[in-house]
Amino acid sequence: MSNKKKYIMTSITLGAIASISAVLIALSNLATKDKIAQNEIDRINAGITNIFGKNAVISAQKSINEYGLTIDTSYISTVYTVKNNENTELGLAFRTTGSNSYGKISLLAGFDKTTKTFMKVSLIINEQSFASTLVDNYVNPLNNGDLNISDKPVNVGATRGAELVQKMVLQAQDAALEIWK
Amino acid sequence: MEVKKMKREKGYTRKNFLKGIVIENPLFVSILGTCPALATTKSIEAAIGMGLLFTIVLICSNMLVSLLRKLIPEEIRTPAYIVIIATFVTIVKMFTNAFLSELYSTLGVFISLIVVNCIVLGRAEAYASKNNVFDSLIDALGMGLGYMLALITMAFFRELLGLGGFTFGKIFQFIPLTTLQIIPKGYEIKMFQTPAGAFIVFGLILAVLAFIKNRKAELKANIEKREKIRKAQEAKEAALKAAVNNGGNK
Repeated sequence: MSNKKKYIMTSITLGAIASISAVLIALSNLATKDKIAQNEIDRINAGITNIFGKNAVISAQKSINEYGLTIDTSYISTVYTVKNNENTELGLAFRTTGSNSYGKISLLAGFDKTTKTFMKVSLIINEQSFASTLVDNYVNPLNNGDLNISDKPVNVGATRGAELVQKMVLQAQDAALEIWK
Repeated sequence: MEVKKMKREKGYTRKNFLKGIVIENPLFVSILGTCPALATTKSIEAAIGMGLLFTIVLICSNMLVSLLRKLIPEEIRTPAYIVIIATFVTIVKMFTNAFLSELYSTLGVFISLIVVNCIVLGRAEAYASKNNVFDSLIDALGMGLGYMLALITMAFFRELLGLGGFTFGKIFQFIPLTTLQIIPKGYEIKMFQTPAGAFIVFGLILAVLAFIKNRKAELKANIEKREKIRKAQEAKEAALKAAVNNGGNK
């Protein structure tokens, strides 16, 4: 086979494999996207319940840009206003997403309207390579009140992930304070 | 013209399947795929999940590589295999995210990392590219199950020693939540849940396996030695008998 023909055949084969792969992935995406979106909604609702309690419901949902805040909001995408059954506003939950060299994290950070303080954090996506260490040694102690959000996270076994979570929550805290100002 | 067919060795399929589980176990014998083995063996459920996803990817990629082995030019073998493996990993990841979201959250980045697991590319290159689809399927099944069993073995010790018992139904939420507390609370050794604990368990299992292997070889060598001595003794006795007989005849 001449070199030219060989190159063409090689390109065609690799192109065909890549095209078939693309089609298979597209079909899988079609089959799973609705369920993945529903899972995401369920995770957000579960996160809101975890932070604000059983009777909490999302009453409004806004993009962070709609608030026109002056502070840096690079981690925050959405702000949820949370109310209880009696239509009393409980607080705000911020959907924040960030990543570092250990992977992506997306979480909900909840803030109490009455005390204007941080309540809890609920992880939506945790793709850190030290995912469970981060949860066991930083997120759970933070939610149980054993750690303070302003404490410098060191020696938690997933220090970089913990630092990222801290940055995201502190940014959400600044945003909450500016919204309530 | 007479067509000569290569005769398959009797019991080849069985041997091909079992080699991945015991003789060529990817984790405990070939020491491959150790990264996810250390990271995803905190619980038996996570180990089963990782093992299942890994086996599915291995079966699909091995079969497709075997099917296309005559079509893929030599020059683009590796990139083509990587595209095939990455495709199956992406598909498996999507379906896990959709239908086993708790497993997806638990395994996290390690699902995507199956793409770079050297066992998958290794089997495609070393076996599937040279054998037919059926044999490649059996090879993948054996290797996948072997890897899964190895992960479960590690998870058994890590969960038992690190958490004091086993929990089922936390990741696979379609089964009822069951906790078997074997070691009383407060007596568990949490270190076994950390990466250091994983290394210790892995090292101890390898040490036990090496001990068994060496002991077997020692026993075999002893038996062979005794057999040799017995044969030499028999030959000596026979020679002595023959000499006595010859002397008597004279």
